[in-house]
Amino acid sequence: MDAIVEVRDLAKQFKRQNGEAFFAVDGVDLDIMRGEIFSLLGPNGAGKTTTIAMISGLLNPTRGSATIGGHSIIDDPIAAKKLLGVIPQEIALYPTLTARQNLEFFGRMYDLDGAELRTRVDEVLEFIDLTDRQHDKVETFSGGMKRRVNIGVGLLHNPQLLYMDEPTVGIDPQNRRRILDTVVRLRDEKQMTVLYTSHLMEEVQQISDRVGIIDHGKIIALGTVGDLIHKIGEEDRLVFKVGDQAVPEALLERFKAEVEGVSSATYEKLEIKGENGDAPVDIRSTSSLQIADGTITVMAQRGRKALPDLLQIANQAGLDVLSVEVREPDLEAVFLSMTGRALRD
Amino acid sequence: MRTVFEIARTDLRIIFQDRSIWLNIVVIPVILSFVVGFANGAGATAPPTTSTLLVDVLDNDSSDRSAQFFDEVRAANATIVLCPLDNTDDDICQLAGAALDETLAESRLSSQEALALIEIPAGFGAQIDAGEPVAIGYRSSEDAFAPSFILQAVQSAAQQIGGTAIAATVGTQVADDIEYLLFVDDADRAAFTETIRSEAASIWATDPVNVEYTASDFDSETLVNRGGGGFSQSIPGMATMYVMFAIFPAAAALIRERQQWTLQRLATMPVSRAQILGGKMLARFALGIVQYAIIFAFGVFLGVRYGNDPIALALLMATFTLCITALTLALTTVLRNEAQAAGVALFLSLTLAPLGGAWWPLDIVPDWMRTVGHLSPVAWVMDGYRSLIFLDGNLGTVIVPLLVLLGLTVVFFVIGVRRFQYS
Repeated sequence: MDAIVEVRDLAKQFKRQNGEAFFAVDGVDLDIMRGEIFSLLGPNGAGKTTTIAMISGLLNPTRGSATIGGHSIIDDPIAAKKLLGVIPQEIALYPTLTARQNLEFFGRMYDLDGAELRTRVDEVLEFIDLTDRQHDKVETFSGGMKRRVNIGVGLLHNPQLLYMDEPTVGIDPQNRRRILDTVVRLRDEKQMTVLYTSHLMEEVQQISDRVGIIDHGKIIALGTVGDLIHKIGEEDRLVFKVGDQAVPEALLERFKAEVEGVSSATYEKLEIKGENGDAPVDIRSTSSLQIADGTITVMAQRGRKALPDLLQIANQAGLDVLSVEVREPDLEAVFLSMTGRALRD
Repeated sequence: MRTVFEIARTDLRIIFQDRSIWLNIVVIPVILSFVVGFANGAGATAPPTTSTLLVDVLDNDSSDRSAQFFDEVRAANATIVLCPLDNTDDDICQLAGAALDETLAESRLSSQEALALIEIPAGFGAQIDAGEPVAIGYRSSEDAFAPSFILQAVQSAAQQIGGTAIAATVGTQVADDIEYLLFVDDADRAAFTETIRSEAASIWATDPVNVEYTASDFDSETLVNRGGGGFSQSIPGMATMYVMFAIFPAAAALIRERQQWTLQRLATMPVSRAQILGGKMLARFALGIVQYAIIFAFGVFLGVRYGNDPIALALLMATFTLCITALTLALTTVLRNEAQAAGVALFLSLTLAPLGGAWWPLDIVPDWMRTVGHLSPVAWVMDGYRSLIFLDGNLGTVIVPLLVLLGLTVVFFVIGVRRFQYS
């Protein structure tokens, strides 16, 4: 497989309001192979959007290069963009135009015209299952239908590379499932390369052939889901909820010392947050509170086997465990392991 | 180029989908142009459209003296037609066979069918002959500080008839004092008095110093323009202001496109930045030209003429529209949200228009205000329209406004294109 996207030392510098310069993307190297679903995973502000904005020609890089199908996005942007279809997170459509009018307009931007344009619009409408609503204005559509038209625009010219930016944000589980199936169909039936960004680990893990994890503007891990999980040793994560009980450091030390396979044990105290997740709050001045239980997180190989011993030690220490959750190794754990932070932070 | 037209076509389709656009580019501008034109003098004080001045007469004396007075009025100004005395077979007095009485005369005066009313009181002749003071009634809607030709003629005739009366009275009294010139009887005395009056009148009539009134010929079609105000001012002024109202909202529309991400989506397609901005600006430019066309067409309906150089007129319209389009693009680069853009659009339209002479001619403002006004592109385009509409100008006389507007256009475009960002 050859690479359709080649990114070398890509960087983008911005200035903060106080004039201080910082790199939102700092030296990204990346190859995306033809016909694969490649996901870029990272928390908000990690540099995903800026990286993709440079690859798709929206932003000029401060340094480095990016090519699509061998065409430089900086020196030969028109040729590069002809190979690219973009499905933004926003519903980038004209709400007062009909679905068909939107598709026809954007189709013409890809030099489609006449019978070819009509045929492609018909095919796309069928693909997104909106043929019967093609003459309705987009503003009258539900969120899921708008999202489908949004996807349809990106498919009009049968691009070799399709970039999808968090396409499942804000939609119901049924439509979300449908979109994920669509992504897989595009790869399998049309041999499209898909560049997928998301901060939802579950869906990335579900559809991706390869994943790149980005944090603070740098790619910190790259490979298949299996490769990445293997890197952190395939440990299970056991989460004990303990409410507002105090957990002594000595208990955590006992977990590590006395239970086979335990590599780490950490404790997070109970937190009371405001409705926007702000902490601490004055509980007299807020009507809605989020109460996050105190938790003990234990990383262990063969977690289920270690669980009885862990519970026994906790019991001996007088700790009343409210609930236990055993999580198999996943990309969330990979991110936690590599950065010390949860993906959603 | 096809892409540019397609972007412009789609933008115009979106603009015209909102039916309130017709209210904004047709109904309101047309009404406002008419109201402002009317307030600026069109219609209310329109000069007469014929070379005769119709003056109604109510002669309650029907004496030789009143006849003599009317003769003097006619002699003072040959363009005056005394109605109904001088009515012709083709009814120059427009009486349609009606007898002129006080009620009809009032009505004709208020509707300006007649420009003035002269009322001769009963006993007019007898009082003059007796050397007693007598008042002639004169009514008109003319400016008290700028007496008309008619009033001057009436005053001249009254002065003349009074003068001859004085001469006759003085002459007769002198004759009474000379013993050897005793009159045979009263009839002889009256004949003597009349002879003096007649001689005085003849001498007055041959006065070597006189004013000859001549009504100049004019083309009634160009009358509105020569009047210097009214619709000839309001039509280009309001059209220019409404062109700004039509184009400035493009800033808010571009910001909205940025927020709904359609602009960024276009930027990820095989379309150049110049094509995207060109298409967006072409749509607003076309809307501006449509706005000009609608109001100028209404002006034609009102009788406004736009001079004799349609190329110069078209260039002025196009250049100003282009200039405002470029200014809008430049503004887009500094505005942050739709509300800000809407506020700035309203502020600029309502500031640049009066400052540049769209609401009233800059001739009536102080020199310093005129200088400040030329910071506005509106002042330059209004200079051009004024040259074409009022002064029979041509491409040569509007070249300076055209060059200034083109210069501003280039500056605004350079700023706009260089600073424009998709996000």
